[in-house]
Amino acid sequence: MLCKIADLYTEIPEEGGIAPLLEDYRVEEGREADIVIRAEEYRREASFLAGLSDSSIAYLESAAQFNYWVLGFGGMVLHASAVELDGRAYLFSGPSGMGKSTHTKLWQGEFPEAKIFNDDNPILRPSGDRWYAYGTPWSGSSHININMKAPLAGICFLKRGRENSIRRLTPSEAVPRLVHQTASRFKDPTRVDLMLSCVDKLATGIPIFELHSIPVPEAARLSYGAMLQAAKEIGL
Amino acid sequence: MKIKEGFVLRHVAGTDVVLPISGATLSFRGMLTLNETGSMIWRLLEEGATRDELANAVISEYEVSAEEALADVDKFIAKLCDAGCLDTP
Repeated sequence: MLCKIADLYTEIPEEGGIAPLLEDYRVEEGREADIVIRAEEYRREASFLAGLSDSSIAYLESAAQFNYWVLGFGGMVLHASAVELDGRAYLFSGPSGMGKSTHTKLWQGEFPEAKIFNDDNPILRPSGDRWYAYGTPWSGSSHININMKAPLAGICFLKRGRENSIRRLTPSEAVPRLVHQTASRFKDPTRVDLMLSCVDKLATGIPIFELHSIPVPEAARLSYGAMLQAAKEIGL
Repeated sequence: MKIKEGFVLRHVAGTDVVLPISGATLSFRGMLTLNETGSMIWRLLEEGATRDELANAVISEYEVSAEEALADVDKFIAKLCDAGCLDTP
């Protein structure tokens, strides 16, 4: 099935029954694909996929292949929950269990216009002099999923805390956090370099924060206030 | 001592980082960050070097005492051993 994901024409096999997930991204056939996902390359025998259903394997492996190829088009995946408000995209990232989805749900509660457009694997990709965050069919278990893009205003890494506090990270503090939350394990060193080139540009060009939070509405107002101000200061 | 195959050192946003490639694994959640001294020692260890050679390089670069240099080198070697990226004889 031909899809358009992160502005890239992507051929994805319907194998594993994942066609319904792709429906919102489907485009008319007949164009040459930028990225071709190959079902025959799904690592069905890999230990980390043992015991999973065909549809889970198709979901995870199509994402892994897309995340690999997108690096060749200047983009990278970030493990994050992505929310759009007033035409800007804000991404909340961190290890599983740190409350990414909880935090973007707080935004929706506080700001009725806020739209969560991906809850697990948005793509970041530059166009012109701006970075954009894109919705993708790979959105984790919640399937909160809108096919849209918005200019990236900021990234915030979440930590559990006893109270709410936010601080801006320096580029060198942002680098390891970005690497940990993107696809970084590749056999091909040139892919590692493409990933690091994205990390370098994001760490130096996008305001990046660390939020210690408890899940209360004021955490959403705190992160929104700090991230919006930093974005406006540099014209994002 | 020598760095095992399958690691790359890169300069990213003002920071030196080490990442595994191919089948290599780092026990430090997939990545190491190095300071200036660490990067210098890493580059020497890519070619293979002894503890004394490393300490001498640190002394000539930073004009520290032999004692301080050896302490720095030992600390860094321990970090690399923990991360699993060093072949020691």
